[in-house]
Amino acid sequence: MGTAILGAICGMLGSFAVLRKQSLLGDAISHAALPGIAIAFLITGVKDSNLLLLGALISGLIGTFWIRGITQKTHLKSDTALGLTLSLFFGFGMLLLTFIQKQPNASQAGLDTYLFGQAATLLEKDVWLIAIVAGIALLIVFVFWKEFKILLFDPEYTKTLGFNTRFIDILITTFIVITIVLGLQTVGVILMSAMLLAPAAAARQWTNSLGIMVLLAAIFGAFSGVVGTGISTIEGNLSTGPVIVLVAASIVLFSFIFSPNRGLLFREIRFRKNRNNIKMQKTLAFMYGIAKTHENISHPHAIKILNGFQGFSKKSLQELVDLNYVKISGQQWSMTQEGFNTAANLYDQQITNLHE
Amino acid sequence: MNSAQIIIQIIVALVAVACAIPGTFLVLRKMSLISDAISHSILLGIVIGFFIVEDTASPLLIVLAALAGIVTVILVEYIQKTGLVKEDTAIGLVFPALFSIGVILISKNANDVHLDIDSVMVGDLSLAPFDILQIGCIEGVTDSCINLGPKAIWVIGTILVITLILLFMFFKELKVSTFDAGLAAALGFSPLIMHYGLMTVSSITIVGAFDAVGPILVVALMIAPAATAYLFTKDLKKMLLLSCFFGVFAAISGYWLAHILDASISGSMTTVLAILFLLVYEPIITSILVSLTVGTSTIFYQYYELLVANETGIEHMLLGEKIQTVFAEFVFLDYVYILIIATVLTAFLIYILPKRGVIYGYYKVRQQKTEIMLLVFLLHIRNHSEESERHVKHLNEHINWQRLRSKSIVELAQKNNMITIDSSIISLTKKGEEFTEKAIDYIITNKDTEIEEMKDDFFLFRG
Repeated sequence: MGTAILGAICGMLGSFAVLRKQSLLGDAISHAALPGIAIAFLITGVKDSNLLLLGALISGLIGTFWIRGITQKTHLKSDTALGLTLSLFFGFGMLLLTFIQKQPNASQAGLDTYLFGQAATLLEKDVWLIAIVAGIALLIVFVFWKEFKILLFDPEYTKTLGFNTRFIDILITTFIVITIVLGLQTVGVILMSAMLLAPAAAARQWTNSLGIMVLLAAIFGAFSGVVGTGISTIEGNLSTGPVIVLVAASIVLFSFIFSPNRGLLFREIRFRKNRNNIKMQKTLAFMYGIAKTHENISHPHAIKILNGFQGFSKKSLQELVDLNYVKISGQQWSMTQEGFNTAANLYDQQITNLHE
Repeated sequence: MNSAQIIIQIIVALVAVACAIPGTFLVLRKMSLISDAISHSILLGIVIGFFIVEDTASPLLIVLAALAGIVTVILVEYIQKTGLVKEDTAIGLVFPALFSIGVILISKNANDVHLDIDSVMVGDLSLAPFDILQIGCIEGVTDSCINLGPKAIWVIGTILVITLILLFMFFKELKVSTFDAGLAAALGFSPLIMHYGLMTVSSITIVGAFDAVGPILVVALMIAPAATAYLFTKDLKKMLLLSCFFGVFAAISGYWLAHILDASISGSMTTVLAILFLLVYEPIITSILVSLTVGTSTIFYQYYELLVANETGIEHMLLGEKIQTVFAEFVFLDYVYILIIATVLTAFLIYILPKRGVIYGYYKVRQQKTEIMLLVFLLHIRNHSEESERHVKHLNEHINWQRLRSKSIVELAQKNNMITIDSSIISLTKKGEEFTEKAIDYIITNKDTEIEEMKDDFFLFRG
């Protein structure tokens, strides 16, 4: 249940991240959250999940603003900023974790579940927390839908319209950070980014509309959450995170291949279709060239003379016959009036196309 | 310092250099995150290799891991080429998927063997000196092996040597293809070969460093020194050298930090890297913070030692209590000490940080001011042909400068051969005229890059 809601909210907010070309922000923030968890534990000495999450949230936010600051103030590019934040924060977190492990304190065991996540550690109150945050995020997305949308596609225009882009930006980023932090417990630091990305990337393949994309991403996210948790419970002994991620990845793969507009399969089919179409048109044009020289356009010619022509195939000839452009009798072909007209227009069309 | 410590330090230093070189190019090519992706997905290669040979020490593991890294790169490129998603999304999709497969494979099949995720994720250096490469062993005869020293040194050393050879052989090509891929292609270097060559080297380096420092810290070692160096300089050679230097510095001091804190070496190396980057990125604030921390911890440590020696049972307390107890021992003078240490250290840090530090900034502003004044002065001379306007004394009242300043400007111009003074009448030399012309051009067109080059052309001495 928790993973389903989590998956849904991840998908929803992930769509914004993907469209803003901030896909790897999730990766960076989830790593950046680690020192927060460690410090929260160091200070309080108890393993209260809420406190740890608060620590994670704070350090995640610091990480985000760090990334922003680096890209704005220096000539370092965003990828470097992301990589820096990710690795440096995580390294510091590791230092603290190993430091904690050496402390004489029995309750430190289990901090490393945050690395890989274990949905089994989710308590009922955690699920409630996730649900509440998801509700708020949903509300915010509804209220600021217009602003989010316009900021996404045309930030300069948004600014000129007088929206406070900074505020909207920070709002959306904050919610992404909160979601990531919540997800840490379930899927772990390393795989959180895929949780954020995969549903959105999959949804992107099916639609060009933001609303539908967000909805679809939420559904995909929830689906992979449920299925992943299910598999990991049945099989036992499997971390939840990797399974969820694999489920999400297969959805992405499926979408890449089978989506009707952008998918690879249909693209290939369209490609083939176009190629055959062109072959057929070429054949027709060639025939037209021959038929033009005769007074009677339906004067029969031997099929053999077509063989020398590139792009001719039995299939395309058959297609022409099916379209009633050409008649075949025995080894001879002759053009119909309809075929002649089409071919003449085809020529015109090509010329006008060239001129355009 | 015993020999094991020295060996560990040699290893980390080698790792740092081996990472810094490809890292520099990755940062420049805006592909830093590829290293992150590679470092995660080689887990899959290692796991598969492990299932084939059932031996964690086999070289096949390294080969397969490097292959997995290259497969990642190819996959990312392929997904990107389909145009379905952007590059960053492609990276973000590929490596978690491969990593997940690796983790699942481990947890399904390798429960009874010692290949657990934690050790793979964090990396462990402290045992590296005892894993010794031996050759010429004769079965059953003890002491027949020729001891070649720790294996890790050999592995990472070989990688480093290969990287260096490649770097020297293809430096020119790398440089061109990094900064101007189009030109490189036009000159006949295949950008594809360059790209995949770099990727292969990076994968192999990451795999080699993987054992020592774990995947994420490899990323830190690749990106952070290069990024820090990039803030310092824009010269490729200097950048390479600097990033190697930062890497080694972080490696060695990180080792000692780990020694003091009794924490993981890789973690403290990254922490040092983070501090280094922050020092360059936000010099003033970080300098103050670092100095305060150093000051406090010095005093803190002294008291701590004292308390341990007095057997107050402090070793068994929780961390929070420990800190409270120790701070309770502080007296007023200690805080003064901390402040003094911090101030001295801050001043020192700010002073040595070039280009970004306050002192440098002040210097730069002064220099620019002088240059602008010189320009105004030359323009003035050029605009006036009458002698009265060109008299040395006249300048004081006309451009409204104080005497000292106008004198220094005139001297500067004279040193740079831009003017000649003939019985207190100033006239422009040919060089001065040329300079003024160009300066006017610049003011009209306002292209930023030109003026820097122009200044380099004309100035021998600067203000």
